[in-house]
Amino acid sequence: MKIAMIGWEYPPFKVGGLGTHCYGLTHGLADKNVHIDFYMPKLRQKVKSDNKNIHIIEVGESEVYPYDRPDDKEIGGKFFDAVYRYNELLVSRIKGKYDVIHCHDWLTMKAAIAVKEKLGIPLVLTVHSTEYDRSGWIYPNQWFIDIEREGMQKADRIIAVSEFTKRVVVEKYGINPDKITVVHNAVYPIGEGEKRNLILFLGRLTIQKGPEFFLKTAKKVLDYEDARFVIAGIGDMLPKLIEQAVHLGISHKVIFTGKLTEEEVKHIYKISSIYVMPSVSEPFGITALEAISAGTPTIVSKSAGVSEVLKNCFKVDFWDTDEMANKIIALLRYDSLRDTMTQSSKREIQLFTWDRVAERTLQVYRGLV
Amino acid sequence: MPSICFYFEVHQPFRLNHFSVFNIGNTKDIHSTYFNKNLNQKIFEKVANKCYLPTNNLLLDLIRKYDGRFRISYSLTGTFVEYCENYKPELLDSFKELFKTGAVDLIDETYFHSLSGLYDELDEFEEQIKMHRQMIRRIFNYKPKVFRNTEAIFDNRIARKIADLGYKGILTEGAEKILGWRSPNFIYKAVNANLKVLLRNYKLSDDVGFRFSARNWPGFPLTADKYANWMSNSYGDVINLFMDYETFGEHQWVETGIFEFLKHLPGEVLKHDSLDFATVSEAVERYNTVGEVDSPWAISWADEDRNVSTWLGNNMQIACFNELKDIGRKLKRRGDRDLLYIWRLLQTSDHLYYISTKGFEDGNVHAYFSPYDIPYDGFINYMNILQDLKEKAENR
Repeated sequence: MKIAMIGWEYPPFKVGGLGTHCYGLTHGLADKNVHIDFYMPKLRQKVKSDNKNIHIIEVGESEVYPYDRPDDKEIGGKFFDAVYRYNELLVSRIKGKYDVIHCHDWLTMKAAIAVKEKLGIPLVLTVHSTEYDRSGWIYPNQWFIDIEREGMQKADRIIAVSEFTKRVVVEKYGINPDKITVVHNAVYPIGEGEKRNLILFLGRLTIQKGPEFFLKTAKKVLDYEDARFVIAGIGDMLPKLIEQAVHLGISHKVIFTGKLTEEEVKHIYKISSIYVMPSVSEPFGITALEAISAGTPTIVSKSAGVSEVLKNCFKVDFWDTDEMANKIIALLRYDSLRDTMTQSSKREIQLFTWDRVAERTLQVYRGLV
Repeated sequence: MPSICFYFEVHQPFRLNHFSVFNIGNTKDIHSTYFNKNLNQKIFEKVANKCYLPTNNLLLDLIRKYDGRFRISYSLTGTFVEYCENYKPELLDSFKELFKTGAVDLIDETYFHSLSGLYDELDEFEEQIKMHRQMIRRIFNYKPKVFRNTEAIFDNRIARKIADLGYKGILTEGAEKILGWRSPNFIYKAVNANLKVLLRNYKLSDDVGFRFSARNWPGFPLTADKYANWMSNSYGDVINLFMDYETFGEHQWVETGIFEFLKHLPGEVLKHDSLDFATVSEAVERYNTVGEVDSPWAISWADEDRNVSTWLGNNMQIACFNELKDIGRKLKRRGDRDLLYIWRLLQTSDHLYYISTKGFEDGNVHAYFSPYDIPYDGFINYMNILQDLKEKAENR
């Protein structure tokens, strides 16, 4: 079987779960003898394939911006231009015989639809997030929603990363639930390091990820227990968050790391004592699996897809900073809790393999060819 | 001619309130901050209406219909009786009515359904048994001859203590660990005490308790005549059917036909000349022991493991258990009766059961009975409350 996969990011260039997913999925499929041409935008840094069944084909001349939802109008304009150019170029460049086209999220949908029409083959769309998630359900942008809806309508099958996302696709985009398959994400285990008294937030600093709730929680914890709170990542909320930390009087206990390399991300997972994911809206949340695989007990938002499938973690409403602080303090105080949760969750995480994701995805392909 | 010993465990715990770390040291009225009155009352009334009252009525009818040839035994925990006295005195009256028939026996246990039988010293265990004894005397004017420990937990140390307290028999699980190749359908003697041991026939008991409504079980659907036939083909002196009373109408809903099954069972059993019913006291009196059981380590009727790992299987449970014991030592030195009572309510084994992380099949059973989404939530809540009580024990 040969698949044309249209992506946006691929390790080492990645900013989110999308790139991680594409890497894991393509390798899982390649191991099952599926051939994949992975199309992605041309980057300054060259991306190389490390598997004979995966060919990476870079399209485009200019650097494009990361998967995000820029607030800045000027950057935003350039970003949309880049997306359009990528999509147009892709349609003209794509060649070869494929069984299925597989695309990911709105960035690649225009191209995928055009390619489907050009080559007359079935289209699979994986929904990693929707505009509703990215906006934190506040003023979602109709322009994105329209692109997403068109892609969802034209796709022959949709893969959603969680039941939660499936519901959004059905209820907000009016898509027939019968053509949607839920495939939960997976993780390449990171391995444990020597733990320090750090409590970690990691993700884009946007409304969607809820970093302000992390800071409010930090304040409540620090009234009772000592710890350092790490905010790893960049995003448009950074200045506001720095201000908030000062305002709460905890800036000496909060570390903003800025952008981290992949190695640095692994390191920070390894040395953190607790990982907190207070997302307002999170279709899946691979970072929770990554943190656990590094032996870090994890607290996730109830509005994260991962909370549907992961048993050995705390699940809290993102706005309930009292409860989040309660869990963090308990993890800091009670060794038995920390140890039991770490061990049980590490065992559980072994079930989340890319092989499983690839197998389920392959079943979707097989239903189409 | 095997005698069927039907024994029902009747228990309700006092479930806890949400109690966060911010509540520690800030509690005034302890009872209402620790225990979730509304939830507890709601659950109790629900179970009373679905299970306790209809099952009592049915069993009373059956005892009368068969003129006392249908005989059963109960144990009621102290916390259950407190629920009755607070919310449904008519339920307690109905148990009295049953007892008056003469076909019903009562069994003693620890008042608080606790794990005090596993503490380093057995003084607390003994006190809780005496509390239970007093309660049964007060309500039923009766002195039980047979004892059953919380969830049938049994070991040699417990056996000796129970013999010392004057009991003639004890109930526990028919676990291979102590029986080996031997059948549970006989009465054995505890290796180190003059005490008869009645062993649960877990296959036949669980056919009703767990598998009754399981469609993928070859025995499904279980009818009274089929079940009576199985028992008439059993060899031995006794067939010990020990189960939670909540099996009827709560674990197995009315829609499963469990009440119809129960209604027809005595008639079907009594069709066989080889079968009759006996209370546990009667069984202990009637049959001689055929051998000894030696249980250096504790067994129980819980989960597939049939040991105490259900309550003490992970570090969180052990941490709470140790904390609980430690608080008890402090409180006993101070002799504060109110705090001692609260501490005892917290000893109810259910609190530790909710913290079990045993996976898969057993874990699903735990999840069904737990008020918490995950055991970790149960731990934090319970441990936070224990920390608050500890502060009080140290400062008062």
